[in-house]
Amino acid sequence: MSKLLAYYPGCSLHGSAEELESSFKATADALEIELKEIPQWSCCGNTAVHSANRLLALALPTHELAKVEQDMQLDAVAIPCAGCFNRFATSNVESQEPEKAGHISDVVGREYNGSVAVHNLVDVYHDDVGLEELKARVTRPFQGLKVACYYGCLLTRPPKATLAGDPEYPTHMEEVAEALGCNPIDWNCKTDCCGSGLALCETAMVIELVHRLLRDARACGAEAIVCACPLCQMNLDTTQREIAKAHPDWEPIPIIYLSQLVGRAIEVEESMLGLKKLIVDARAVMA
Amino acid sequence: MSTASSMSACTPQPDLAQTIGRGCGANVCKCYQCKKCSNGCPVAAYADLHPSQIMRAIQLGQVDLALDEKFIWLCTGCQTCTTRCPQGIDVAAVMDELRIIARREDRIPDGAALANVLRLNADSIKRWGRLYEVELVTRSLLGNRKKMKSYVPVGRQMMAKRKIRLLPELGDRAAVKRMVSSSERIAEANPTPLERGRGRGGYSHE
Repeated sequence: MSKLLAYYPGCSLHGSAEELESSFKATADALEIELKEIPQWSCCGNTAVHSANRLLALALPTHELAKVEQDMQLDAVAIPCAGCFNRFATSNVESQEPEKAGHISDVVGREYNGSVAVHNLVDVYHDDVGLEELKARVTRPFQGLKVACYYGCLLTRPPKATLAGDPEYPTHMEEVAEALGCNPIDWNCKTDCCGSGLALCETAMVIELVHRLLRDARACGAEAIVCACPLCQMNLDTTQREIAKAHPDWEPIPIIYLSQLVGRAIEVEESMLGLKKLIVDARAVMA
Repeated sequence: MSTASSMSACTPQPDLAQTIGRGCGANVCKCYQCKKCSNGCPVAAYADLHPSQIMRAIQLGQVDLALDEKFIWLCTGCQTCTTRCPQGIDVAAVMDELRIIARREDRIPDGAALANVLRLNADSIKRWGRLYEVELVTRSLLGNRKKMKSYVPVGRQMMAKRKIRLLPELGDRAAVKRMVSSSERIAEANPTPLERGRGRGGYSHE
């Protein structure tokens, strides 16, 4: 059965994380999820706006949600970027709080009734497709590849917005990885922070934060890290060269998007996975 | 400014917690110093003060301590503090509010590079309706030779993998422009009401 979802790519997926968009779209297509991109979408505002103008930070995503609800008449939107997902999830909750709703709709220019569900990358595979269906679609299962599932911050926190059942120890990504034939390992840093946008200005601090969690994944036996956020992927992937300089025995670990993992197991066309765009070579673990 | 000098120069502002509450809705007065926010904070080790100390400074009206500390410009917004607070205080929103106040009062400390990155980021969104990543990265690094040098290895890898889109994409610029000006006007006229209930942000006691 096919399912129709609105789709919000967000700025990174049209820039530094093109492989997330291409692999996500290819897997959605193969799994009979029809994606309808929100017409003329704008930026969700990211951290820059919520730390400068609260009302605008709620209005930008609400503006897109109102389009989904009223112009597209759809009841759910898929948002593969964890950062955008978080801003949409926050706005979805706060736009319905009576003391804020009026001001938000004044800024947006129309009322949004809160009928749209916001789904992140993990939700699409775990809930929209469903684990049983996903398992049935796997044609080339992994042979027990040991993966560390990395959620970072914004997929699960704060639970008031993300509606995550267990924000400190989520397991949905592991369940998806298991359905693909992977062996998700237990580790200590799956909801730790990678340093986010501070990579641009506090580079040394971010390298330390990343090193700590990569080291933990390795120590717990992971052969690859699976993630669902363009900023996490970039920080974990691009800092490993510097880590290797400071620690000559560092063995690089591939940082793969969940959509690439799914795509490999259900055998979508390889060029759509964008594995060549990953900095630490992932071809061996994805072979 | 160092912590010691700001302490000696401090003029208390007794209604600081109320000011912050009017801005973001978080009620700092509910903090009883359990330090769960500080223990979970990924960047506490890199600053002179940690989140629960900033919360205490706000309760005591120590505006200089709260604002001039580098901490608020190291906060990654990871939401761990907000998630774990047993009093349901949105601690991360308090840090955002301090940034808003620091910007309004032109009190951004010298070492706070993030302030500039965030400003350029917001400018880019307002200009194009979407974030133009190349513009943000180049403008952030311009004029800072040391930063530029430390970012070169990352930039080189990104270019080699063609992870850079050279031209900007446009969002709905007219709508963004309209929302920017109306939000500024409305926010100024209508402060956020203070949160009263327990546990709105956290989950520990639900």
